[in-house]
Amino acid sequence: MPQYSLYEEEFHPSPWHRTWRAFKASHIAMAGAVLLCVFVVFALFAPFLTPYGANEQNIDGLLVPPSWMGNGSISHLFGTDSLGRDLFTRVIYGCRVTLGSAFITVVLAMLVGVSLGAFAGMLRGVRSSIANHLPDALMAIPTLLIAIIIVAIFGTGLVNSMWAITLALIPQFVHHTRSLVRSEMKKDYIVASKLDGANKWQLFTYSILPNMTEMLVVQGTIALSIAVIDISALGFLNLGAQSPLPELGAILSDGLDVTYLAPWNVALPGMAIFFLVLSINVVGDGLRSALRKRVNH
Amino acid sequence: MIRILARYSILFVLTLLVLAVMSFSLAYLFPGDVLENLTGIVPANDAQRMALERQFRLDQSYIVQFFYYLTNLFAGDWGYSFTSGIELRDEIGVALPATIELATYSMVVALVIGIPLGYYSGMRCYSTSDYIINTSSITTYSFPVFWLALLLILVFSLQLDKAPLSGRVSLLFNVEPVSGFILLDILLSDMQNKSLAFKDALSHLTLPTIAIGAVSTASMVRITRRSVIDARHQPYIAAAVSRGLSGWQIFFRHILRNALLPILPLMAIQITTLITNTMIVETLFSWPGIGNWLIQAIYQRDYPALRVGMLAVSTLVITLTITVDMFNRLIDPSREKYEHAAI
Repeated sequence: MPQYSLYEEEFHPSPWHRTWRAFKASHIAMAGAVLLCVFVVFALFAPFLTPYGANEQNIDGLLVPPSWMGNGSISHLFGTDSLGRDLFTRVIYGCRVTLGSAFITVVLAMLVGVSLGAFAGMLRGVRSSIANHLPDALMAIPTLLIAIIIVAIFGTGLVNSMWAITLALIPQFVHHTRSLVRSEMKKDYIVASKLDGANKWQLFTYSILPNMTEMLVVQGTIALSIAVIDISALGFLNLGAQSPLPELGAILSDGLDVTYLAPWNVALPGMAIFFLVLSINVVGDGLRSALRKRVNH
Repeated sequence: MIRILARYSILFVLTLLVLAVMSFSLAYLFPGDVLENLTGIVPANDAQRMALERQFRLDQSYIVQFFYYLTNLFAGDWGYSFTSGIELRDEIGVALPATIELATYSMVVALVIGIPLGYYSGMRCYSTSDYIINTSSITTYSFPVFWLALLLILVFSLQLDKAPLSGRVSLLFNVEPVSGFILLDILLSDMQNKSLAFKDALSHLTLPTIAIGAVSTASMVRITRRSVIDARHQPYIAAAVSRGLSGWQIFFRHILRNALLPILPLMAIQITTLITNTMIVETLFSWPGIGNWLIQAIYQRDYPALRVGMLAVSTLVITLTITVDMFNRLIDPSREKYEHAAI
């Protein structure tokens, strides 16, 4: 038989497929991805995975130690806090609140940041300069300060702290989008589409945006880890999520009152934040090096 | 050169103006009375209120009010705190240097440890030692700074009793504030047991500096490592190798300086994170800095303090960021060309 069918049987991996292969080759990155998946499962199915309600108090079991300690019991895996609430349940719900709100924050910041950045990158002159430098000025204001001001105007709460973090995350997206759009606009394929009569909107959606997704994913993971840390930090300082809401930082600050009696109330929520951020960072790092490998080969 | 300086000073002045407008509008945005938010004085009767309103131009248009606010800011008349009744300028004059001191030491730690480690792991990239450094840096980078500080307090202050729990210096030592930096003040003062006081201040400084410095060091290692690896893959390194230069020559002549160049703008971004981390750690160690002061102010709804504190901190951060950025632009001409082509 002639070889005519061989051409169609040849497998051409798509860019994402090649990235995934390079990502899979790194064991550390895969371990991080598995850990992150566990956290995502916790976040999505928290009510099915937990034995108690998040705010269910048990007066008979105050400050029960975790199950691996001498006088702990298996009915409370991570022990209980000073109100007799099951810590395991609260930590899992905490992953849900913290990771979920961080994710929403990042998506919002990405939407606003990319549109502003595209605007700044496609335009020229003074308007572009303003759209570029104003976020730079905003970027210089620490997140905590923005949060303090928003809390002073609107009062405390998880939603208000999310607004503050969104505001703090937007400039990074603006910056990266703008420089990427700038460098892409000089390339030949853009000139070709321009000659075909594409307007700016078409140029952006059909030519530049597909080339931007990878940068957005990598920036998104960086922003997600920052958002998780910031949301829990604000919860810890009592400026974000308020006490009965199971947010990891708020749980940690609740546990602070009984540090001497029950150190697990501080250790376990902190560890949950740490592993959550670590898994996001490891996945982000793995993605970045996978993309770099793909581009270099 | 002059054009760059002019551009950056215009940018700096405009940014500060935007911040001043924001700070002024906060007086209207905060709940409560505008006059009280703006001045921090609660008028005792209607006559005094009328007089104050006239003095602060509150009966005239917003523009006039803003310019009066601006002249007051320049004159150093920043209003009074609700809670303590002290002039805000004096309070900030004590709190801000304390924060700068802590942040500076952490930055120094990050530079002294982070950059050499980053060079080492970048030069030996994908070896075992590189993996160890890289793994430990990503682990440290993932620590929430408040939890790290808590762990340090629990282990070193409460369990081992090696370091003091809070404050800047033991109350036994009466240090006269001259510069606002505690170590400098102790050296400048003429007290009897200077060395004891110095040691005490150092032991107070250690734990907060470690807590803030660890995260900064980790990100510094990662930035430096990436930059060194990128520099090593440049064509001029291949050219240097083919000319027969030794490894050390290549490192000192070609990699060392070229790898430092991209680190600087990334450092400017780090400053914001550094200040945020310092502000959070201050509250845990009861360090009398601006972060602790602002958080106390928000707990007590001290609006004049928040208004001026926000202006002070953001001015500090923006001054630092723009200076680093401008310095970077001055020493890196290739960036300028790119920017010119872009605008």
